[in-house]
Amino acid sequence: MASVTLSLCSSLATHCRISPNQNPSTPTLSFSNNTNLTFLSLSSHNHSRSSSCSSHTFHFLPKSSESESAVLDSETQSPEIDSPEPEAAQIVETSSEQVPKREQVFAVVMVGSRQYIVFPGRFIYTQRLKDANVNDKIILNKVLLVGTRNSTYIGKPVVTNAAVHAVVEEQGLNPKVIVFKYKKKKNYRRNIGHRQPNTRIRITGITGYEDYPAVTLES
Amino acid sequence: MHKDRILKLAKGFRGRAKNCIRIARERVEKALQYSYRDRRNKKRDMRSLWIQRINAGTRQHGVNYGNFMHGLMKENIQLNRKVLSELSMHEPYSFKALVDISRNAFPGNKNVVLPSKKEGISIVL
Repeated sequence: MASVTLSLCSSLATHCRISPNQNPSTPTLSFSNNTNLTFLSLSSHNHSRSSSCSSHTFHFLPKSSESESAVLDSETQSPEIDSPEPEAAQIVETSSEQVPKREQVFAVVMVGSRQYIVFPGRFIYTQRLKDANVNDKIILNKVLLVGTRNSTYIGKPVVTNAAVHAVVEEQGLNPKVIVFKYKKKKNYRRNIGHRQPNTRIRITGITGYEDYPAVTLES
Repeated sequence: MHKDRILKLAKGFRGRAKNCIRIARERVEKALQYSYRDRRNKKRDMRSLWIQRINAGTRQHGVNYGNFMHGLMKENIQLNRKVLSELSMHEPYSFKALVDISRNAFPGNKNVVLPSKKEGISIVL
């Protein structure tokens, strides 16, 4: 299965990253004490599993965590996928050295008065950005925290000069909610449908945080 | 037709409420009322869940939730509870850094009991 997705990725755009190299190592990675980013390693593994190349088929799996259940589901899925992988990964491992490793950094960014934990290469749904067209490059300035492999940059309130670069993918609508108002015995019934406009943004990179005072892990 | 829409919303209901329109109409109206109310309740429930998780995370480091949030407010750190609860679950070292900053800013009362050093905590740290 890993070889099939690798061939898919080779024909697609540059930001398609798959690192089956991580597969045999993630069972040990999740129990080691030295990584700052246990979630990052598990989630990037999960992201590569769900073929990050074609974002159209897997909308909700790599979605940045806005609900706890989505996060917990992705957590529980990745250990089960690990076990059949080491057998298939041996053939792929020799060719996997040329695939670049995903950058191990995350940021907490504030968009549309909501805060999101953001990883390069994933997308998030935000409130509709009024003046943005599709394939616009966007810079998000309000970065509240940046975390790398060994250090954390905690902003008070903002990490100065940090910027999260993103590309607008799609301006769509949320799924419909039915707003039904009813008062009993008073013959009052109102049935209204509502679709909130949203924007899908794909994060391309996180920059500009290096000069900020950081809290570093010594190990 | 209106009836078909109601029966479509009534999928998974118990007994005749999923099949017969007179009963289904009542149950569907009730369900829509509940969903209206619960969209507002969900925000409250999620916030209380985040607070519980942050409390658990900070108590592992010997700080309780109230002192932790007071320290963060003093330091002008504007991370919200959703993000703090996620960090406490998945990024333990970043969260420990936040707890240390808060403890320096607001030491709080000395009555908070540190958890006894068991195996589980030493694996996290």
